[in-house]
Amino acid sequence: MAIVFFKRLGWFWLLVFIQVLVLNHVHLMGYAMPFLYVYLILVLNINVSRNILLLWGFFLGLAVDIFSNTPGMNAAATTFLAFMRPSILRLFTPRDCAEDMEPGIRSMGFWLFFRYVLVEVALHHTVLLTIESFSFFNLGFLFLEILSSVLLTTFCVMAIEGIRKK
Amino acid sequence: MRNLLEFFIKYNYWFLFILLEVISFGLLFRFNSYQGSVYFTSANWLVGTVYEISDGVTSYFHLKSVNEDLMERNIYLEQQVSALREAFIKTTRDTTWVDEIQRSVLKDFTILKADVINNSINRANNYITLNRGEKDGIRSEMGVINGNGVVGIVYLTASHHSIVIPVLNSKSSISCKVKNSDYFGYLKWDGEDSRYAYLMDLPRHSVCEKGDTIVTSGFTSIFPSGIMVGTVEDITDSHDGLSYLLKVKLSTDFGKLNDVRVIARKDMAEQKELEQKIRK
Repeated sequence: MAIVFFKRLGWFWLLVFIQVLVLNHVHLMGYAMPFLYVYLILVLNINVSRNILLLWGFFLGLAVDIFSNTPGMNAAATTFLAFMRPSILRLFTPRDCAEDMEPGIRSMGFWLFFRYVLVEVALHHTVLLTIESFSFFNLGFLFLEILSSVLLTTFCVMAIEGIRKK
Repeated sequence: MRNLLEFFIKYNYWFLFILLEVISFGLLFRFNSYQGSVYFTSANWLVGTVYEISDGVTSYFHLKSVNEDLMERNIYLEQQVSALREAFIKTTRDTTWVDEIQRSVLKDFTILKADVINNSINRANNYITLNRGEKDGIRSEMGVINGNGVVGIVYLTASHHSIVIPVLNSKSSISCKVKNSDYFGYLKWDGEDSRYAYLMDLPRHSVCEKGDTIVTSGFTSIFPSGIMVGTVEDITDSHDGLSYLLKVKLSTDFGKLNDVRVIARKDMAEQKELEQKIRK
């Protein structure tokens, strides 16, 4: 149990540091921003309790917030993602899956996992970027930002998943 | 009763969810007005140290182009100084006059050196973190500039780090004027392109052209007057049609900020105190 916890904690800090030191500076074509850190929430085992999932989501978002001077913004969006995850994951789980399945290409197959990631990421980015847009409200710009960021993040998640499974 | 209890136990994650969201939004909304929130930003000691280490590596990447910019600016200023010196000597026939003026301009200001350790340009509210704080004499509402022009205004300070609101932030609003005229407006950013900002509320009877230089007005206690902000790129009418809206190409390249200077005016506290008295 402790080993699993420390392994997750290792992933937690790795993803936070990749996010704040590298990916926060990426801004493709003025719209797309990758938020790879949600990967941690996406691949937590299916039998993790809802409360634990919420706490991981909150602290992950908070850590990214503290580094990028946006207190509460990523925390709110990631907590929401963690809250919605069990219901969404249920839609995409294969029927004969193991009780402690870890969502991924290996356990779900490429296309099923891809669709799962796309839905989750779209949910998270819509919340996150809508909260951010309170400062300047421009619907067209917001929509483009959400769409392009979702594509970029999904691409990053699939890439890191692909590397991990080799 | 037992059913109710069972219901609460079964759906206890709802309470945790609502609690965490309330905390998140609390942080989000209090950040604007609450000084203690400095601990939830990159000015806190741990995060500041991480960014200092990362900056130690990345600051070398832009060194060459930053150096070229500074050389250019330096040559331009040197030419200007020598031209002005000549003009002064011609009119006053007094060679010590120029040095006197230079000393009197900078007399009221202390200039502190700082490094940018964290910076963003792609969010709606960007912030810059500096590696100097209260212990080095930095206080909130001091002006921040670099070799090319205005950067922003100090917002929060911790003991060794501070956070600056740059021009690229929805909260930023800097009083500026068109050089060589005294009409002034304030500089706002629209949240899109990091190279441009907009000068609002410039009166319609003021005269300006594309390519004119925009400088700080010096009406607030933050910046001295005449610090470069940018050049006019486009002139349009404001939405209500009562004033001009100038698109300004910023002279500071926020994408590669590295060294900055914090300007501390010696009688700043006095002016602020006076202004607050009037408001009461």
